Amino acid sequence: MIRNTRMKRFSVVSAVVALGAMVFTALPAQAAEPGLTSKEIKLGISTPLTGTAALSYGKVPGAMKAYFDFINANGGVYGRKIKLVVRDDKYLPTLAATQTTNLVLKDGVFALVAALGTATHSKAYAAASLATKKVPDLFVNTGFSGFGNRTKYPTTFTVLPSYAMEAKIISKFVKDKFPGQAVALVAQDDEFGVDGVNGFAAGSLSIASKTLYPQGYMNDARAKALVTGLSAIPGKPVVILFGTTDVTALIFKAAESLSLTSKFTWIAGSVGGDSNTLLALGVKPTTIDGVVAASFFPDAKNTTDQYVKEFTKINAKYNPGVSFDNIVLQGMNSAMLTVQSLRAAGKNLTRAGLIKAIEDKGSTFASAALVPLNYSATSHIGYNGYWMGQLNAKGELKPYGGTLSIVTTDSTTGPITPSTFKRPSMPKNGIPTNS
Amino acid sequence: MIKLITTILTALTTGAIYALMSTALVLVWRSTRIINFAQAGQAVLSTYVGYEITVRSGSFWVGVLAAMIFGALLGAVIDRFFMRPIFKRIKSGPILMIAPVVATLGLLGIIQSIIGFKWGLTYQSLAAPVSTDGYNLFNRVIAFSPFNLLVVVFATVSMLLLTLLFQKTNIGLALRASAHSPEIARLSGIKVDLTRTLGWALAGAAGGLAGMLYIPSSYLYPNAMDVLLVFGFVAAVIGGLESLFGAVAGAMILGFAISFSTSYISEKLFFPMAFILLIVVLLIKPAGIFSSKKSRRD
Amino acid sequence: MLTLTPSKKRTLFFVAMGWALLLIGDRIGELRQYQGSFVAMYALAIGSIILLTGYSGQLSLGHSALMAVGAYAGALSINNLHLHPVIALVIATFVAGLFGLLLGFGVARLSGPYLAGTTLALAVSLPTLANQFPILGGEQGVVFDVGLPPARFGENFSQYKWFFWISCLAVLVMLWLISNVVSSRYGRTFRAIRDNETAAALSGLNTGRLKVLAFSISSGMAGLAGGLLVMLISGVSPSAFPLSLSFSLLTGAVVTGVYSLKGVMLGGLVLVAIPEIADSLVTRIGGSEGFTATLPGFLVSALLILAVIFAPNGPGKLLHSFKKHG
Repeated sequence: MIRNTRMKRFSVVSAVVALGAMVFTALPAQAAEPGLTSKEIKLGISTPLTGTAALSYGKVPGAMKAYFDFINANGGVYGRKIKLVVRDDKYLPTLAATQTTNLVLKDGVFALVAALGTATHSKAYAAASLATKKVPDLFVNTGFSGFGNRTKYPTTFTVLPSYAMEAKIISKFVKDKFPGQAVALVAQDDEFGVDGVNGFAAGSLSIASKTLYPQGYMNDARAKALVTGLSAIPGKPVVILFGTTDVTALIFKAAESLSLTSKFTWIAGSVGGDSNTLLALGVKPTTIDGVVAASFFPDAKNTTDQYVKEFTKINAKYNPGVSFDNIVLQGMNSAMLTVQSLRAAGKNLTRAGLIKAIEDKGSTFASAALVPLNYSATSHIGYNGYWMGQLNAKGELKPYGGTLSIVTTDSTTGPITPSTFKRPSMPKNGIPTNS
Repeated sequence: MIKLITTILTALTTGAIYALMSTALVLVWRSTRIINFAQAGQAVLSTYVGYEITVRSGSFWVGVLAAMIFGALLGAVIDRFFMRPIFKRIKSGPILMIAPVVATLGLLGIIQSIIGFKWGLTYQSLAAPVSTDGYNLFNRVIAFSPFNLLVVVFATVSMLLLTLLFQKTNIGLALRASAHSPEIARLSGIKVDLTRTLGWALAGAAGGLAGMLYIPSSYLYPNAMDVLLVFGFVAAVIGGLESLFGAVAGAMILGFAISFSTSYISEKLFFPMAFILLIVVLLIKPAGIFSSKKSRRD
Repeated sequence: MLTLTPSKKRTLFFVAMGWALLLIGDRIGELRQYQGSFVAMYALAIGSIILLTGYSGQLSLGHSALMAVGAYAGALSINNLHLHPVIALVIATFVAGLFGLLLGFGVARLSGPYLAGTTLALAVSLPTLANQFPILGGEQGVVFDVGLPPARFGENFSQYKWFFWISCLAVLVMLWLISNVVSSRYGRTFRAIRDNETAAALSGLNTGRLKVLAFSISSGMAGLAGGLLVMLISGVSPSAFPLSLSFSLLTGAVVTGVYSLKGVMLGGLVLVAIPEIADSLVTRIGGSEGFTATLPGFLVSALLILAVIFAPNGPGKLLHSFKKHG
C-alpha cells in the first residue's frame, strides 16, 4: 500500500518534470543584430533595485531611463527610440549572472549599459558569454581596475576612475597639504577597502591606523568607539573614510557626540561623500563644513554648471519626484555617453561598429566630468583623474584652496600629473548631435 | 582606561538592543516553538509606523507607544490568521522544524515588500528624543550619551516588567504553563490558543520598542534590523531559548564578547565571534547556559 | 515481467533519466540549457537539505556556507593545482564533506534550533572569513572556469550545453549514490533517529555518530552543488553565498516535500521558475518604478507562504489528499 502511494506520487512528479521540460523547448529566434529594429534600440541594465545596495544606487536606472525618454521625445537616435530593459540583481553575483544572461538571451538586448559592482559584473560577464557573443558592455559602474583588461573583457568600457586611482591621488594630496600629520584609514573590508589599501600603498602614504570593518558592523556605539580610539593620535590626524555614505554619516555623528569633529581633518572617498545624503542622514552642517572629498564630476548642487543645469531640467520633467544628486548625475551622464556612442556608430548600427565608434571617438564625447575619457583602440578605460574639493556647510563641494586643480593617473605605478583637459561644452539643450 | 570604559559602554548599549530582540524571539519560541524570522520585518514595520506617528504628532514618546501597540497587534494577527492555520495542517515530524522557518521567512519578504511599496527604498532618519552628545567624565567626553542611557534604562525596565508579568500575575502563570506543557494547561482550563497569541503580541511589542530605540542611532530602511535579528537569535540560543533571563544574559554575553574582541583584537571578528561563542557555549552546555537539561526540546 | 531488485530499478531509472536529459539538452535553446543547469544544481542542494532534515531530523540554516566551502575547494583545485574540472568537482564534494564532518563533531550533540543557530552564525561569518585568506581573492573572488567544451563535440556545441551536461551528469550520479545510501541500512537508521532519537539510542544505535555522518554526507552534496553553482556563474565570491541562498534551499525542500528525495527536480524547477514568472508578470503589469521593483519579491514570498499553507508536505501529498477527499 505504502509502495503504491509512493509510485503514484512518483508518477505525478515525473509528469510535472516532463511538463517542465516541454515548457523549456521554445527556441528564441536569433536575428542578425539582436535588439535592433528600424524603430528601436533595446539596451539592458542589471543593477540592484531592491536590497541594501539599492538604497544608494537604485536611482541609476531611473535616471538613465529619464534621459533616454528625453532623447526619444526629441527624435531618438537617427529615428530609433531607445528602450532600456531593467533587471534587478540585488547586488548578488548569482542573480547578476542569471539576469545578465536573461538580458542577452531572453530580452535579446543590443548592448548592456551601466552594470553595477565588481563581484557581480565580473561573474555576469563570463556567465552571459558577453565576450564570445561580442555584446557591447558599456560604462560599467565600478571602481575595480580589472575591467580595463582587454583580453578578459574585450567588449567592456569602464567609466568611473578606479578606487586605486582615487587612493593614489588622495595619498599625494595628503602628503602635499598635511605633511607630518598621522593618517588613519577607515575602510570597508571588501574589494573597496582592499583596492583602496593597495592604492594608498602605491601612493606610498604611511598609514598610522588602519580599520577594516565588515559590512553591517558599524553602528552608533562602534563608530563612537572607533572615533574615541582615533582621538588618541596626537596632533590633528587626517582620517580617510573609504566606505559607503551611511557609514560615513555614522562616523560623523559619533564625532559630533564626542565633540571631536574638529580634532581631525576628514577626507571622504567619492563613494561615501555625497553631501545630500549625509545631511539627509542627520549629520550637522557644521560637521560637513570643511570635509575634504575627491570627485571627478562637478558638484551636483552647482546649477551654474551647464551639464548640471540641463540634467536637472531633464530630471524634473522625466524623472518626477526624484531629487537630483550625484547618483542621478552619474546615471544621466552614462545615458548621454550611450546616446553619443550610438550616434557615433552611425545609421548602420552594429555591435562591432558600436565598439569601434567608442574606441575611435569616445575620448571626444561630451561628458559632465571634469576629467578626460581615455577611450582609444588600446584603452577601454574611462575617467582617470580627480579633483580635490572641500564641502561647505550647505553641502556644496568647492575646489580645495579656491582653485580647481585636476590631476590624472593610472591604477598601477604611473605618475600623477596635472591635467590640462578642457571639458567639451554641453550639447545645446542636452541633445547630442555628434556623428 | 578610556578604551576600556568605551568598550564596556559599547557592549552595554548594543547588548541592550540584542536583549530586546532575543526576548522577542524567546517569547515566540516558548509559546509556539517557532523561530520567528519575520521578527526583523515586524520590528521594522512597527518602527515605520512609530516614525510616521512621531513625525505627525511631534512626539517621540507617542511614536514609541504607537510602535509598540502596532507591533503587538501585528504579532497577534500573524499568529491568529497565519501561524495557526499552518500548524493545523502539520502536526509532527521534521516538517515541523522547517515549515515555520520557511513560513516566517516568506512573511519577512512580504513585510519588507510592503515597506518598499509604502515608503520606498531610501534611508529615513529618526531624531533621538534626548541629546546624543556624550557625557563629560573627568574632562573627557565619553561614548555614552543621555540617549544611550535612555536605551539601557528602557530595555532594563521593560525586562523587569516582563519578568513581573510572568512571575507575579495569572496571565504570566498561564503563559508559562502553556509554554511548558500545553496539554496539561488546556486541561486545567487555560485558553492555550489565546495565551499563544498573547506571546506573539508581547514579542511584537518588544520588537517595536527595540526598533524605536535602535533606529535613532542608525537609519530606517526595510532591511534595517536583519543583522540585529541574527545576533538576537544567537543571543537567544546562547541563553537556552527558554527563559527571559537567559535571553537577556545571552545578549549581554554576546554584546561584551563582540565589543571586547573587536576593539582589542580586530573589527573583523564581528561576525565570526558570534559563531565562536556559540560553539564554545554549546560545547560546554549543549542546551545553552541558562537552560535546565530537561527543558531542551527538538 | 522481469523481476528487478529495488536497487537495479533505481539504477535503471537514473540511466533513463540521463538519456532523457541528453535528448532534452539537444532540443532546447541556450537560455533553457542554462536555466536547466540551475535546476539541476538547486535540485542537488535541496537534496542535501532533505537528507539532513527529512531523513535525519536536523535543521541547518547555513548550507550556503557549506556550498561555499565546496566552491572554493573546487576553484582552488582548478586554478592553483591545475586539476581537471571533473576532479575539481569531486574534490569540492569531499572537502565540503570533510568540513561537515569536523563541524559535525563540534555540534553533534546539538539539535533543532541550536544547530540552526550555529549554522546561521557560520553563514553570516563567511564573507569575513573568506576575506582573511588572500588565496581566496577577497570580495572579487576566484575564477571557476571549466573551459570550453571539447572540440570533438563540434562547433555548435555551446558553453551552455556543456554546463547542462556537466550539471545534469554530476547531479544524477550524486543523487544515485545518495538514493542508494538512504535505502540502505544507514537510511533506515537515519529515519529511526529522526522519528524517535531516544528509542533509537535505546535500541543500541550510536545516534551522535550517525547524525554526524548524515551531516557530513549532506555537506558533501552541498559542496558539489556549490561547485556547480560557481561553474555556472564562472567564479566564486563570498557574496555568491548569501543567507538568502540557504533560505531558498529550505523553501525548495518544503515545496519538494521534505520526506522524499524524489521530487528534488521539482524543487529546483520552482526555485528557477518562480522569480522568472514574477519578473515577466511584473513586466506585463507595469506601473511605477518603486512598484515594479518591489513586486517580484512580494510575489515570490506570497507563493512561498501559499506553498507552506497548502502543501506543507510537498505537492505529492497534496495531490494524494485531494484524491482521498474529493
